[in-house]
Amino acid sequence: MNFVWSSRQLRFVAAAAVVINGFFPALWILLTSLKTEIELVQKPITYWPHDLTLRNYVQAFTDQPLLRYLGNSLTVALAATVASLLVSAMAAYAIARLNLRHRQLILTAIVASSMFPLVTLLVPIFETMRALNLLNTYSALVIPYIVLNLPVCTLVLVGFFQSIPKDLENAAMIDGCTRLGALWRVVIPLAAPGVFTAGILAFVNAWDEFLLALSLNSSASMRTLPVGITLYQGEFTFPWPIISAALIVAIVPIAVLIALFQERVVSGLTQGGIKG
Amino acid sequence: MLLLAPAALLIALVVVYPIGKLIYNSFFDLRLSGGADAFRFVGLQNYQDVLSDKDFWNAAWNTVLITLITVPGALVVGMGLALLANLPFKRKWPVRLALLLPWALPLSFAGLIFAWFFHTEYGFVNDVVRRLGLTTEPTMWLLRPNWAFAAICATIIWKTSSFMALILLAGLQMIPRSLYEAADVDGASRWQQFWEITIPMLMPSIIVALVFRTITALQTFDIPYTMTKGGPGNATETLAMLIHKTTIEYLDVGYGSTLAVFMFLLSMVVTSFYLRRIGKSA
Repeated sequence: MNFVWSSRQLRFVAAAAVVINGFFPALWILLTSLKTEIELVQKPITYWPHDLTLRNYVQAFTDQPLLRYLGNSLTVALAATVASLLVSAMAAYAIARLNLRHRQLILTAIVASSMFPLVTLLVPIFETMRALNLLNTYSALVIPYIVLNLPVCTLVLVGFFQSIPKDLENAAMIDGCTRLGALWRVVIPLAAPGVFTAGILAFVNAWDEFLLALSLNSSASMRTLPVGITLYQGEFTFPWPIISAALIVAIVPIAVLIALFQERVVSGLTQGGIKG
Repeated sequence: MLLLAPAALLIALVVVYPIGKLIYNSFFDLRLSGGADAFRFVGLQNYQDVLSDKDFWNAAWNTVLITLITVPGALVVGMGLALLANLPFKRKWPVRLALLLPWALPLSFAGLIFAWFFHTEYGFVNDVVRRLGLTTEPTMWLLRPNWAFAAICATIIWKTSSFMALILLAGLQMIPRSLYEAADVDGASRWQQFWEITIPMLMPSIIVALVFRTITALQTFDIPYTMTKGGPGNATETLAMLIHKTTIEYLDVGYGSTLAVFMFLLSMVVTSFYLRRIGKSA
């Protein structure tokens, strides 16, 4: 939009405002993580650390099993991503391609399934996982996360599948492919950008989830990062430099991921736009 | 049809069955901590108890208030960010990444970061307040009910406005420039152009963003949980937190399920209100 601003300086100010809003909290945590405990309780507070220290990072790994949390989060998020893609690719293909009656209704039903507040489903999911003996396993989280991801992945993939010409598949089927074979060998490779976009969204969704991770996996060794990171604080103690260091360690993987694939993330978000 | 089976099965397991089970449970006195006899049909007793439960009304009010404050708040801030981000920059990535980072962070991270921001003694916010000379005594942000509520709302707005901005930005980029050029020729001011062109053209994006933001605002849990645990007292306790506490911590499944049914109804009312509005504007 051609607003009043046209000069370069004003544009720079606008960019700075957005950048500061986005990065400042993370930057402040980074600065905190490099300060000593003594410096932190000085008043007035310092902005730049006077004596840089990396001790907090060492302690972040020794006070809590941070590496374990990282590993758990990575495992759960990756497994949920792959499983979400498989399930939603099949559903999206059926909706985009087959002569289904009520295909719009089916899509609406899938999207509507995400409108129910997760916390209301929490106890029955808890009971189900307990009955299946799945509490404190990766599956306890992966299974609900697939459903959490289903709407956005299906929406993104339906769009991509519809953009691939039908003739290509028909040709493959004439050459002796089954329908699943055609899906696997022709459609999926062509839809790779869409699959990738949906995959990143699914990964971020699963990586960020808190409520189920907190409630279903309560044993220390099965905690994911968003939950584990809250455990550094004692009843009355808040070791902020160490919490900050742990936060930085936890932010880096997701920040690198979105930095590498920012255009895909943005296009996926605006197509499937689900997540607050 | 077979292709839809896995999706259908999972939705049945994680959504449909739990809803049925939830409603069933809500008619029982069902406490997992209470031994063998703690499973008794009580009819509508739980429902009556909920309606006269001060904690329920407190949590429901907090949830509605958070929604009423943070949804419009995030829309306004997100609109500002989107308008700024839509200016023609030479390098687009710093601005884009600045919008993506808050979106991609787990809510619990945002809660912790802002709890440190709002720290009474060593927090950044109180330092700025002190430098500006606004108060003599540091504000106890997270220890006073109203301040804690404000701090939580500010955190939620920061965390969610960038998602709003991304959706609105995509909408802004689809508005044809020629509309503004025509308005320039007709002598419309920028302010008029914003209200007469930008906002109406952006309406579909605004509605999509509002619907999803409202649905998530009603479920607010992570940020107050990490910032105040619902305190001081239960000044910042939301419905989601009350349900979690009742069922997972106190193991009172029957009563917790009834609370969940009420929350369910609340979100149904809000969602159907939006869907009706969308139906009208489409």
